[in-house]
Amino acid sequence: MSDRENEDDKLQTGQTPKTQPPAEFGINTAIGKQLKAYYDDVASEPVPDRFLSLLDALDQAESATKKNRE
Amino acid sequence: MSVEFDFRKELITIIPNLRAFATSLTGSFDRADDLVQETLVKAWDKQHTFQPGTNLKAWLFTILRNEFYTQMRKKGREVQDVDGIHAMQLAGHPEQQGHLDLQDFRKALELLPDDQREALILIGASGFSYEEAAEICKCAVGTIKSRVSRARTRIAEILGVEGDGDYGPDSISSQIIGVAPAA
Repeated sequence: MSDRENEDDKLQTGQTPKTQPPAEFGINTAIGKQLKAYYDDVASEPVPDRFLSLLDALDQAESATKKNRE
Repeated sequence: MSVEFDFRKELITIIPNLRAFATSLTGSFDRADDLVQETLVKAWDKQHTFQPGTNLKAWLFTILRNEFYTQMRKKGREVQDVDGIHAMQLAGHPEQQGHLDLQDFRKALELLPDDQREALILIGASGFSYEEAAEICKCAVGTIKSRVSRARTRIAEILGVEGDGDYGPDSISSQIIGVAPAA
């Protein structure tokens, strides 16, 4: 309980000090390697069009709203 | 019109990471992409609350994670994995044929408690520091450290590998790193 950090609700994480994971997480360990392979299997795929279209739509909706306000 | 920080462009560079994290949370490629879509909409709506210069990736991961657990709470059991469904859905991913080691690892990950799995992913794969992961998960740094440690131990047990970098000559890991066992 005492070691629990106070977390405010703000989604700001920029000023966080960094402690790098210990060496056993290095790319040369069996688990580290497989973890990366598991993750990169998805993370290395190109961004699907559905997301680019979505961002375009959000962008356009926003511009339209701004114009209407003016 | 003038935006000093190109939010859209920065967002796009992080989508692959969001998809990978979402896959680890949901255990399903389809549900992962739905979750990413909801995250992008949320992030877009609240982009004015993001301070340029701070960590956008951690900000987005936090939104995605919150969204995931909010959905879990709403849907309750419905979202919970029914024995092995996760693993089967993932095994069905076309790119996965032949990656037996990866499938074993995926199944092992699925056996971890949610909090341990997410800590392991954030630290071991997403590249966050312990402090960043603690902020994303809204817990103490020490909690993240112990979850990661327990997760590693458990995975090592399940896979029957040593977690600390020792490769037996006949270990599956020697295939992964592409080093032939000593003859």
